[in-house]
Amino acid sequence: MSRNVVVTGMGVVSPIGADLGAYWQGLTSGKNGIVTREFTLGDDLSLTVPSAPVDDVEERINGLGRVLLRADRFSQLAVLAADEAIENAGLELDEQLGARTACIIGTGIGGQATLDVGYEQMLRRGKRPHPLSILKVITNAPASHMSIRYGARGPAFAISSACATGAHSIGVCADLIRGGSADVALAGASEAVLTFGALTTWKAMHILATETCRPFSKNRNGLVIGEGAGVLVLEEEERARKRGANILARLVGFGMNADGKDMINPEVDGAAGAIKLALDGVQINDPSAVYINAHGTGTLMNDPTETKAVRSVFGAGADDLVMSSTKSMHGHLLGAAGGIETIASILALNNNVAPPTMNYDEPDPECDLNYAPNEAVERNIDLAISNSFAFGGLNAVVAFQKV
Amino acid sequence: MADIEKPLLEIIKDHAVGLTEAPTRETPIADLGIDSFSIVEIIYEVEEKLGVEVPFNANENPFGDMKSVGDLIDALDALIKK
Repeated sequence: MSRNVVVTGMGVVSPIGADLGAYWQGLTSGKNGIVTREFTLGDDLSLTVPSAPVDDVEERINGLGRVLLRADRFSQLAVLAADEAIENAGLELDEQLGARTACIIGTGIGGQATLDVGYEQMLRRGKRPHPLSILKVITNAPASHMSIRYGARGPAFAISSACATGAHSIGVCADLIRGGSADVALAGASEAVLTFGALTTWKAMHILATETCRPFSKNRNGLVIGEGAGVLVLEEEERARKRGANILARLVGFGMNADGKDMINPEVDGAAGAIKLALDGVQINDPSAVYINAHGTGTLMNDPTETKAVRSVFGAGADDLVMSSTKSMHGHLLGAAGGIETIASILALNNNVAPPTMNYDEPDPECDLNYAPNEAVERNIDLAISNSFAFGGLNAVVAFQKV
Repeated sequence: MADIEKPLLEIIKDHAVGLTEAPTRETPIADLGIDSFSIVEIIYEVEEKLGVEVPFNANENPFGDMKSVGDLIDALDALIKK
């Protein structure tokens, strides 16, 4: 008997809203989460760049308790999102269900702030790093903290695939449930790399926007790094129905593959292949009821490649669908991008509203789809797709329908 | 009195979330409310503050059959003097 996977809860901490309600309000109103800010390290190191930080969560972090106060920020943001997701799902883990609950929480980098401070102290000041640094840095820290906090004792680990991490985590989690390794799962990703060291390293790659993120617009010139976390509660459908859960969406497809070509440059065939895999067996009657949350980084290379990939999958129907890049508002959350963007996709599906692509100034002949420029689009949405295409040519796409 | 007694009591005090009063030699370890993180931090702070190295293995139960803070102070003192 096949096991379907549904979404019964979501939680988000993003630069445009640190809970579900604020996030959706931000997404539909075109809120700008991008600010030019100075990042310092030690007494003398400083870098000022556009970034998308999460502000105003310090009080909530302080309320997470003693163990999490000694965790890195990427774990703290992840747990804030997971707390909301569990509450949103009305999920109560007893001994039996705890043993059948997975925590698959990814990150692109891990405990960057801890590494920055530790190395600065060690290499420049001759001081020893804090003894808990390893426990802060390790990429599985959010999954471990959640398993302890909620008593979730099923499969737990981190997935890391740069900008595709969140989508991979959600898709793999769904496969774990389908395959019978778990009945319930916390799935998502977290990232917190707004540090002098990380941003200086990104800047060295010459891929950061100089002012803001302008996906699909001809004058786009790069990405803006953001921080945050997005976590879903996934459940086997029959069990969710039995407990009377509020089912937000059914995960109808997951496609993943690798370009196998280049570390930097994305490739149309790989991206298109992943989308096709995600839509395998999905009936699309009306392309105008399809919403795609684009990877849409605002880099010169990604946006036309993604546009061509979508055209190659949908053919003439590509002109009817809406595809927007919410990174124009919340920046690129790297590993966590697929987490919060999957949530944006499901919210779009639930509300029949496609969030806009903000900062869209100028059409680019290479990017010729309907990107919901600068204003949300109200229309019936039957199928929501979230694209994630990582550096290194790793692609992951998840697709959801109403139940 | 072991040399490390006063600084160690101060360090333990900062980590003893289970106590309302300052710890003494007689305070039972079980009353301190300290977790596995705190053990590692306490050892680190002892090393930093006193400029010593504590040959302690984080995978072993650091308390063994110790009952009181006094037992802990004596054990740490013995480790440092090794």
